[in-house]
Amino acid sequence: MIVAAESCDIINGIVCTPTSVNELFVFKPIFYIGEMGISRTHFLIIFAALLVVAFLFFGLRKKSVIPSRIQSMVESLVTLVREDIAMSVIGKGGEAYVPYLLSIFLFILVGNLFEVTPLINFPITSRIAIPLLLSLITYVLFLVAGIRKQGKEYFTHLIWPPGLPVALKPLVGLIEFASTLIVRPVSLAVRLFANLVAGHLMLSLLLVSGYFFIYQNGVWPVPGKIPIGVAWYVFGLAIYGFEIVVSVLQAYIFTLLSAVYIQTSLHPEH
Amino acid sequence: MEELAAEVVVKGYALIGYGAAAIGPGVGIGIIVGNAVQAMARQPEAAGMVRTTMFLGIAFTEALALIGFVLFFLV
Repeated sequence: MIVAAESCDIINGIVCTPTSVNELFVFKPIFYIGEMGISRTHFLIIFAALLVVAFLFFGLRKKSVIPSRIQSMVESLVTLVREDIAMSVIGKGGEAYVPYLLSIFLFILVGNLFEVTPLINFPITSRIAIPLLLSLITYVLFLVAGIRKQGKEYFTHLIWPPGLPVALKPLVGLIEFASTLIVRPVSLAVRLFANLVAGHLMLSLLLVSGYFFIYQNGVWPVPGKIPIGVAWYVFGLAIYGFEIVVSVLQAYIFTLLSAVYIQTSLHPEH
Repeated sequence: MEELAAEVVVKGYALIGYGAAAIGPGVGIGIIVGNAVQAMARQPEAAGMVRTTMFLGIAFTEALALIGFVLFFLV
């Protein structure tokens, strides 16, 4: 981003176009394994997974009645997922899904918070692969849960709610089919992805604008533009705080919606 | 330069489209949160349940605006 801004000729050109938005999200491969380039993103994904495992491992290594600081953190997060999401949404039979919900919650939370972590500053969930994979796992999970609970009738109940008049069956069937089997997984993935893309884009634009107004094409400082630069920078820092809230909220919403989808498969009458 | 100008024009239309796509969800989220605050004020002991349902409603409504946001980059 900074490189693109500096190579742009603001004296002769009127329209100043950056190369592409991909510049912010695609890293150059560091080395190759066969055809596949391994870039910084891969290391961050593995790092996030290891971080979650380490957090749970060290939090629960010495279980004591009077919890240490990290143990009480783990306990409050587990309580949040178990009581507020799994048990209160799914209800009966929710216990079996607590491990899955807890793992996606912690993984997405860590991945989102990478956005505001200094020196990392890149949310791994802003690449569509991660949200899409997680939402497909949820998709398969709630389909399997429905089939195991209700057998073949699951699909007919899915597109035609019981007690529907025959005349409405084609229309409702089409709408329910599209909304359950197509829109659900796509919107689950796109929601997380778009929120994080928007956040990352906004943060980089605002903070780099601040930098660019003060330090422009090797001239430092640019007289008369410092107040604008400082204003952008302060605005960027305000958005920084907002993004922390968005990161936590999106992890919570992804987990909550996964639980809701599983619940609709297990208890179709609601 | 011609191609660049055309691209800028297309992006401009896309931006207008995104702005239009954000109107509905904006109104919707306002209604959801407003009613949730009212519900919490009337019955504070049900606040937890109302909050969960509120987030759920926001998530469904917000998806429309976010799809508009993604389509902006796809054009």
